[in-house]
Amino acid sequence: MPAETLGTLDILLQILQRFMPVWIALAVTMGGGYFIRDRLGQFGRLYGSRIGLVGLGIVLFWVFTAIFADLIAVTGPVDQLSFTAKKAVPGTIDAEKGVVLLLGGDNLARDIFSRVVYGSRIVLIIAPTATLIAYMVGSTLGLPAGYYTGFVDTAMSFLANLVLAFPVILLFYLLVTPEVREPVMVDLLLFDLPWSIPIAMSAIFFLFPIVFLCLLWFTKYEKNKQRLQVYLGVTLVLGIWVYLGLVFNADPTGLLSMDPNELNVFAAVVFVSSPAVFRVVRGLTMDIKTRDYVAAAQTRGERPWYIMLWEILPNARGPLIVDFCLRIGYTTILLGTLGFFGLGLQPESPDWGTMINHGRSFVRLASTAHIALFPALALMSLVLGLNLLADGMREESLKD
Amino acid sequence: MTEPILEIEDLNISFYTRKGEIPAVMDFSMKVMPGETMGLVGESGCGKSTVSLGIMRYLGKNGRIKSGSIKFKGRDMAEMSEDELRGLRGSQISMVYQEPMASLNPALKIGQQLTEVLTIHEEISEEDAAKRAAEMVGAVRLPDPDRIMGAYPHQLSGGQQQRIVIAMALLSRPSLLLLDEPTTALDVTVEAGIVELVKDLAREMGTSMIFVSHNLGLILETCDRITVMYSGEAVEEGDINTVFNRMRHPYTRGLLRSIPVPGADKFSRPLVAIPGQLPLPHERPKGCNFGPRCAHFRDNVCNSHEIRMHPVGSEADRHRSRCERIDDIEWNAEVDAGEIGEPVVPGDVVLSVDKLKKHYSVSTGMFGGGDTRTVKANEELTFDAREAETVAIVGESGCGKSTFAKVLMGLETATEGKVTLGNLDLANTAVEARGPSTVSQVQMVFQNPFDTLNPSMTIGDQIVRVLEMFEIGESDADREERMLELLDLVKLPREFAKRMPRQLSGGQKQRIGIARAFAGRPKLVVADEPVSALDVSVQAAVTKLLTDIQRESRTTMLFISHDLGVVRYLADRVVVMYLGEIMEQGPTEEIFAPPYHPYTEALLSAVPVADTHVKKRHVVLEGELPSPLNRPQGCPFQTRCQYVMPGTCDKPLPERRFGEGHVVRCHLPAEELEKMEPVIVVDTAPTAAE
Repeated sequence: MPAETLGTLDILLQILQRFMPVWIALAVTMGGGYFIRDRLGQFGRLYGSRIGLVGLGIVLFWVFTAIFADLIAVTGPVDQLSFTAKKAVPGTIDAEKGVVLLLGGDNLARDIFSRVVYGSRIVLIIAPTATLIAYMVGSTLGLPAGYYTGFVDTAMSFLANLVLAFPVILLFYLLVTPEVREPVMVDLLLFDLPWSIPIAMSAIFFLFPIVFLCLLWFTKYEKNKQRLQVYLGVTLVLGIWVYLGLVFNADPTGLLSMDPNELNVFAAVVFVSSPAVFRVVRGLTMDIKTRDYVAAAQTRGERPWYIMLWEILPNARGPLIVDFCLRIGYTTILLGTLGFFGLGLQPESPDWGTMINHGRSFVRLASTAHIALFPALALMSLVLGLNLLADGMREESLKD
Repeated sequence: MTEPILEIEDLNISFYTRKGEIPAVMDFSMKVMPGETMGLVGESGCGKSTVSLGIMRYLGKNGRIKSGSIKFKGRDMAEMSEDELRGLRGSQISMVYQEPMASLNPALKIGQQLTEVLTIHEEISEEDAAKRAAEMVGAVRLPDPDRIMGAYPHQLSGGQQQRIVIAMALLSRPSLLLLDEPTTALDVTVEAGIVELVKDLAREMGTSMIFVSHNLGLILETCDRITVMYSGEAVEEGDINTVFNRMRHPYTRGLLRSIPVPGADKFSRPLVAIPGQLPLPHERPKGCNFGPRCAHFRDNVCNSHEIRMHPVGSEADRHRSRCERIDDIEWNAEVDAGEIGEPVVPGDVVLSVDKLKKHYSVSTGMFGGGDTRTVKANEELTFDAREAETVAIVGESGCGKSTFAKVLMGLETATEGKVTLGNLDLANTAVEARGPSTVSQVQMVFQNPFDTLNPSMTIGDQIVRVLEMFEIGESDADREERMLELLDLVKLPREFAKRMPRQLSGGQKQRIGIARAFAGRPKLVVADEPVSALDVSVQAAVTKLLTDIQRESRTTMLFISHDLGVVRYLADRVVVMYLGEIMEQGPTEEIFAPPYHPYTEALLSAVPVADTHVKKRHVVLEGELPSPLNRPQGCPFQTRCQYVMPGTCDKPLPERRFGEGHVVRCHLPAEELEKMEPVIVVDTAPTAAE
């Protein structure tokens, strides 16, 4: 019995309707932003650039999709429908539950539309967070390299080049290998900690945000002991709690934990992106350190780290924000690649990379190609949006 | 009457930006006759460069000529086709820009770039073009034209590059030469040479020139006529002597009164600052743009309608002014300078510099091997500075004054010698090792106001940070209060504490820089050209503020400058440096009068003076500043000195002492030094009355 299907126009209308919360949110933010654009700095300037505005629109679209995923999605991300939904073409109506499969169903009779919508959640949490950590690692190393130059710079740049020259694919395969991935419990006298190469890498990378923040507070409030104690205390307690929970799955309260697969993803992404961030930050530092306000800070006896974090880094933010947007795009693609290798999250996870990986065996037939096509389109549009946004911002920052 | 080379009528140029249309030039008219040199003077943002770009029809994407006509030799340039214009540019009208390196293609040899001008605009063979180019290189007085023709731009010094640019501009014998701040990037002694050259060449070739500059002295030395611009409008136009002596616009008068002239000190010719600051292009007032800053402003007269240029005197005078009250203002009124400060009585010696040396070693080989050569940035500096005294350090770029400042601030440590401030040793203690009390005792005011404040921190936070670093104040609230007091001190409103640096003008930023330097009640403040990057009309106010605070707090100030006008105006003593060595030092009055060191003599002669009553003796320095890598034996100045005595000058320099603390380090015998004639002579006629 051939299942009932909707026409293309109906599908489009229904999709538009499902995204209603997103349209409303978009209208409110972009419209509201227009009125306060003078106060938004770099982002406010985007209103002068059509390309940048389109980019911002696409990115915000996915952000709101992630936020309102529960309202938009028809089914849960892993809900299986009846056999009619199996590899169903877009617009098929499920025979049992009467659910319209707007973008068709996959080989396990799950609604692709809902999965793509939920997938945005995973992508939009992991990609920016991983990029942010890569930024903290890259900045913490790039600032001193650019500031001191000389031996420090030579050594660290060499290391960065080494990492950049390392074949990424090989690294990914390495991380997928069960022998490498499976944590081994190590007895540390007082308590046991899981140990594996990805965990070791994450243990190093996740340390940087804590170090970064502590340096930030220490240099700023060194002479203001009271505030310093508060800021440092909060940072250290929160930081170490999150650190133990995420990296070693050893949160004493049991609230925080991260799937080993996710940890893998973080380790891989940060390892690959931080050398590039390092280079950008190093170059900007070399440029900004010749300014008079840096000399002024030196002549009033500021510590080098104060100058790097408070005099140089904030003034490099323009190009860094642009690079950050671009890099979230790269990271998103990287997540897709990782998912494709099966290094992504759990196999049933609706992240776009994993979905493409699952759909790839059906691409040969025109009637089932959509299983891989729609997550790929979603991935592409988000990356495109981020690139347009970055381009728009760069263009506007060059104008006067 | 002959036809003018260039005639501009009612020109309006606007730029279209994010903020909408910004009028850059309004209602501008100008006539340049053959062989005439027109000076276009004004502060930054007044539209003078836009006019010159408008003449070239080269306004970029955002700029547009809204109305008005520019006629070149009687033909309206608006009616010319793009091809015609291209044929005109570079052959009939040439332009020389500020930055010589930006005007030359770094990848082509000088010879190629010069011959190209001729082969493009004239049908002429490559050989003939090369021959004429070489002649022109000789004409701009560059030695060894053949070598220069084969050189790349980076192998020449800044002055030589600018001479090449001028040669290039003059190659096709243009009838109009536009010079846009051609010497601003160069040192005074080099500038003097270029100005001399341009004047001579224009006279020989009969070229008309438009000389754009912010420097009134330079305009006075080069031009026949002058147009003064303010905020997009020409405010006064006339013959150079008329405008300088019988100005009929309050802005022109204000400008002339706010620049110090080396011929006069603060008692004979006090500086008067123009209050306020330039209006932003989109916030111009109705009526007279200068109205809000003008002492003669009358409500309903100056702000009721658009003000046109009014002729002054007869038509033949060609003197016009954009002032409604030409006939009402008492133009010869005495300058009201406010109270003139009593001369400060210097106290004990605070800073003593003894045989300070700072050498850098430079290794030439790869991987740090190869020859190590020494750059002697400072060579045996010895001088003292007393409490509340202002000591000026004068010299051209590369003379080691910035290195000396770095040693004082602890950013570098000395190679040899001693610098003591009270009982603190500064020469060998880097800033990290100094501790807050010492650091706050030695502070600096930086040169570039746009660079001196952290752009992403509020003004208040930046000052509070300084107070924190100097361990001043008990609590956050206490420091906040002190920060506001500092804002009062530099005469800025307290609301500025919440502002970001980008919301401040250059002069206001420099005031913050001063507040920051004086936050810890320092004993010594090093001011590195603190006003040279500011607009002329603001300079006087900031200079006055700086000296007032310094005198009040009895701080010793080291004032690093190349502007001898300012130095004469505010320094008590002067130290003249050349190539890392002190050539002459002494009380200001004695430095500005014979006996001179030959270098001081050349320096004084090179400074353009904006006063028609000052007569200068011309001493133009030949040659270039030697590289500090291979400085001459003995006297460093011998390669450019007009009194050079072969065989004597390469011996160690003797010190010749005259009067109270006046030391000249020169091989010339004292009697000969004393026989020198004064470089600057002031006519006895009073300045403003005529």
